[in-house]
Amino acid sequence: MDASTRPILVALGSEARALRLIQAACRLARERNAPWIAAHVETTAGAATEDEEQVQVWMQEAQRLGAETRRVRAPTLAQGLADLTRGTRAQVLLLGRSRGRWPWARLGHATADELLRRGLDASLVVLDDPPEAAWAGAPASPFGATAGAFLVLGACTGLAWLLPREGNLSLVLPIYLLGVALIAHRWGQGLGVLASALGTLLYNFLLETPRFSQGGHWPNLLFFLAMLLAAQLVMGLLRRLRLQAREVQRREFHTASLYLLGRALARSQSPEEIALSAAEHIGRTFKAGAWVLFPEGETWRSLPGSLADHDLPPPSELGPSLDLAARQGDPLEPLPLGGAFYLSLTGTDRCEGVLRILPAEAGGLPPRTWELLMAFAAQIALALERLRWLEEARQAQLERETERLRNTLLGAIGHDLRTPLAAIHGAAGTLLLTDGLDEPARRDLLAMIQDESERLAHLLGNLLDLTRLESGVLQAQKEWQPLEEVVGSALGRLERREGPVPIHVDLPPDLPLVPLDAALMEQVLVNLLANARRHAPGRDVALRAWSEPGRLCLEVADRGPGIPEALRERVFEKFFRLPGSGEGGVGLGLAICRAIVQAHGGGIQAVERPGGGTAIRIDLPLPGDPPALPEGTP
Amino acid sequence: MTAPANPLRILVVEDEPALRRFLVPTLAGQGYQVLTAATAAEGLAQARSHNPDLVLLDLGLPDQDGMEVLRQLRAWSRRPIVILSARNQERDKVRALDHGADDYLAKPFGAAELLARLRAALRRAVQTEAGDSVVAGGGLRVDLARRDVSLDGRPVHLTALEYRLLEALVRRHGKVATHAQLLVEVWGPGGAGNTHYLRIYMAMLRRKLEADPARPRHFITEPGVGYRLDLDGPG
Repeated sequence: MDASTRPILVALGSEARALRLIQAACRLARERNAPWIAAHVETTAGAATEDEEQVQVWMQEAQRLGAETRRVRAPTLAQGLADLTRGTRAQVLLLGRSRGRWPWARLGHATADELLRRGLDASLVVLDDPPEAAWAGAPASPFGATAGAFLVLGACTGLAWLLPREGNLSLVLPIYLLGVALIAHRWGQGLGVLASALGTLLYNFLLETPRFSQGGHWPNLLFFLAMLLAAQLVMGLLRRLRLQAREVQRREFHTASLYLLGRALARSQSPEEIALSAAEHIGRTFKAGAWVLFPEGETWRSLPGSLADHDLPPPSELGPSLDLAARQGDPLEPLPLGGAFYLSLTGTDRCEGVLRILPAEAGGLPPRTWELLMAFAAQIALALERLRWLEEARQAQLERETERLRNTLLGAIGHDLRTPLAAIHGAAGTLLLTDGLDEPARRDLLAMIQDESERLAHLLGNLLDLTRLESGVLQAQKEWQPLEEVVGSALGRLERREGPVPIHVDLPPDLPLVPLDAALMEQVLVNLLANARRHAPGRDVALRAWSEPGRLCLEVADRGPGIPEALRERVFEKFFRLPGSGEGGVGLGLAICRAIVQAHGGGIQAVERPGGGTAIRIDLPLPGDPPALPEGTP
Repeated sequence: MTAPANPLRILVVEDEPALRRFLVPTLAGQGYQVLTAATAAEGLAQARSHNPDLVLLDLGLPDQDGMEVLRQLRAWSRRPIVILSARNQERDKVRALDHGADDYLAKPFGAAELLARLRAALRRAVQTEAGDSVVAGGGLRVDLARRDVSLDGRPVHLTALEYRLLEALVRRHGKVATHAQLLVEVWGPGGAGNTHYLRIYMAMLRRKLEADPARPRHFITEPGVGYRLDLDGPG
C-alpha cells in the first residue's frame, strides 16, 4: 500500500484535549490527503473513570469531520493502540499527554514509551497540553516564584537567627514550618519541596548548635526535614481540597445554568425565540452581550436586534475559519475578532449559525468560562437543529399528505373523467360511421355528447376551484352587499342550467348587508341547491336566511333521506360520497362550499331538518356595521 | 339557410385549433362570413384590412396579451367585441369590459349561447347607431327622451339616483355594465370603489321593477363583474 494512502490514527479519550487531537489529526489528514481514523481504547482499568458520554461526543465530532471511528478493548492503552496501528497500517499515530499534577508524573509518558519500545512502523506524534495558567490562583513567572521562595526562606532564617540558641529546634521549627507552608501555598508544591530541603540545609549550617558543625546531628536534621516536607504536603492537600471544592461549585453553577438554558430553549418555537433565550441567558451568566448570526446569502442575519459592527466577514469566509479543522489557534477557545468572540453553532450534522459574544469588560472573559460557553453553544446549536429537523419532518409530512390526496384524487377522477369521455368518444364514433341512423337516434347521441361534456366541464371546474381555494390562489374578495342579490344570481344560474327551480325562498326584507364574495357565495348556493334537488327531486326545498347578533345565518333545507349523524361532518370532506347516493357528483360540491365559507371566516354544518330531511346551515360573520350610505339616500 | 347578399363579417381571434374548428362552421352555418386568426398580430392585421362587424377575441393568445389587442382595436373601432375567456377569471372579465369589450363568454360555452350573445351584440350596435330612446320588454318600458318609466302600463316613480342607474343600464341594454362603469356614471368619479352603494340601489330598483326581487328577470347580476339589463327574457 502506498504511504500516502495509509491512514492517520488518533487516540481519543474523554478529556477536552481530544478536540485538539481531532483538529491536529484532521489537518494532518487533509495535508497528506489521507484517510483518518479516530480510535478509543477501552481498558479494563480505565473503564470506570472514563466519561463514556463525553467519549461519544468526541467520536461523533471526529466522524462529522470525516473520520472513521473505531472502538477496541485491550488490557492496556499501549497494547490496544499498537494492535490498531498494525491492523490499520497507519502512517501516523497521534496521542495526547497530560501534564501531571505531580512533578514526577511528567518524567515520562508510559504509553508513548511503551509504544516506542514495541517498534511500530508508524511515526508517533505526542501532543502536550498547553500549560494551564488558570490552575494556579495567581499566575507568577518561575523566576518570581523562586525569588519569592528564597526571600521567605531568608526572612525565616533571619528571624531564627535572632532567637536564643540553646535547644532552639523547638523554637526554629515553627518559623520554618510557616515559611514552607506559605511557599507551598503560594507557589506550588515543587518549590515547597525545594524550600524544605533548602530550609534543612540552612538550619544545619547556620542555626544548629554548635554552629557550622559538619556532622553529628542527623536525627535532628531528619526530623526537621520530615516536618517541613509534611507541612508542604498538608498544604498541598488542602490546596487540592480547596480546588476540588471550587471545581464542584463551578460544576454546580454550570449544571444549573445549562439546565436553565436548556429549559428555555426547549420551549422555543422559532430561531428568533432561541436567539432571544440564548442572549438572555448568556447575558445573565457571563455578563456579556450575545447574538446568534444566521448566514443569509452573503450577509448575516443577526438576532436579537441588528448587529452593531458591520465589518464582519461574510459567511463564506467566517464559516470556514470557525470550522474545527481549518481554523487557526486552539479549538478549545473561541475565535476572537474585533473585540468580540465567535463560536460555531454546530449540531450533529452541520453548522446552524454563529454565536457572537461581546464581553462587557474590555479584558474579555475569564479563561475557564469558555468551557461553559462552549456547552451553551452546543445546546443552542442542538436546539436550532431540533427546529430544523422538526420543520423538515413537517415538510415531509405535508408532502406525504399531498401525495396521498393526489392519489385519492387521481383514483376518484380517473373514473369520473373516463366515463363521460368514453360515452362522448363512442357516440361521436357511431355518428361518424353509421349512415343508416334514423333522426331520433342521431339526436339522442348528440344530446348525450352535450350532456356528458357538460358533466366533464362541471367536474373540471369544481376541481380547479377547490385547488385554487385550498392553495390560497383564490381569495374571498369581500364586499358589503345584500344577500338577496347573491340568491337571485344563484337561482338564475341554476335555472339556466337545469330548468325551473321549485324552491321556497324566505328572505326578510330587513336583512342587513353582509360582507361576502358574490361570485364564490353564488357557487356555494348553486352547489347546495343542486344537491338538494338531486337528493330530493321535486320536493319542498327551502332557502331561508335570518340575522343574529354578530352573524348572518343561511339555510338550505331539503326533504331527502337525510344524513346519518356519524357522517354529518364527513360529507364536507373531499371525494366523500354518501353510501348509496348513486351516480352524479364526485363528492366535491360540499368540500368547495366549506372551503369558500371558511375563506369568509364562517362556519358550515349539516343538521337534521325538523320533519325529515337535511338542512345545511351557514353562519357568516357580521363584523360591525356596514359602511354608511351615500348622501341623498331616500 | 341561404346566405344574404351582404353577409356580416365576424373575425375569430382564437389560438386553439379545436375551438376554431367548432366556431367556423357554427358561424358560417348562420350566414356570417367568418375570418380567422390564430395570433394577436394576425388578428390585428385582419381587423385592419377587413374591418369586421364583430370580433370574437380570446384573451389567452400566444404572442400577445388579448387585453392589448382589445386596447388597440378600441383605438380605432367602435364595432362590438366579444371576449372568450377561461372560466372564473372575473378580474380579467372586468378589465376587458372596462376596456371597452361588449360582452364575454366563459369557456366552455354552447353554440346556442354563443349565437344569442352575438345577435344581441350586433343588434345593440345597430340600435346605438339609430339612437333609439325607447326600450321595452317583459312589461317594462323606459323612455329616455321623456324620462318615463312604466311597468305593465303603470307609471313607476323612481328617485333621481335610481333613475340615473336605470338610465345607465338601459343605454347598455343587453350588455354587461361593470360595477366601476356604473359607479362612475351614476355617482361621478368619486363613486368608484363604493360598490355597496350600487348594490343597495340595485336592490331598490329590483323591488320597484321586478315581480320577485329574489328571482330577477330583468336586472341580472353577473357575480363579481356587474349587472346586465335583460328585457328580452320572460317577464
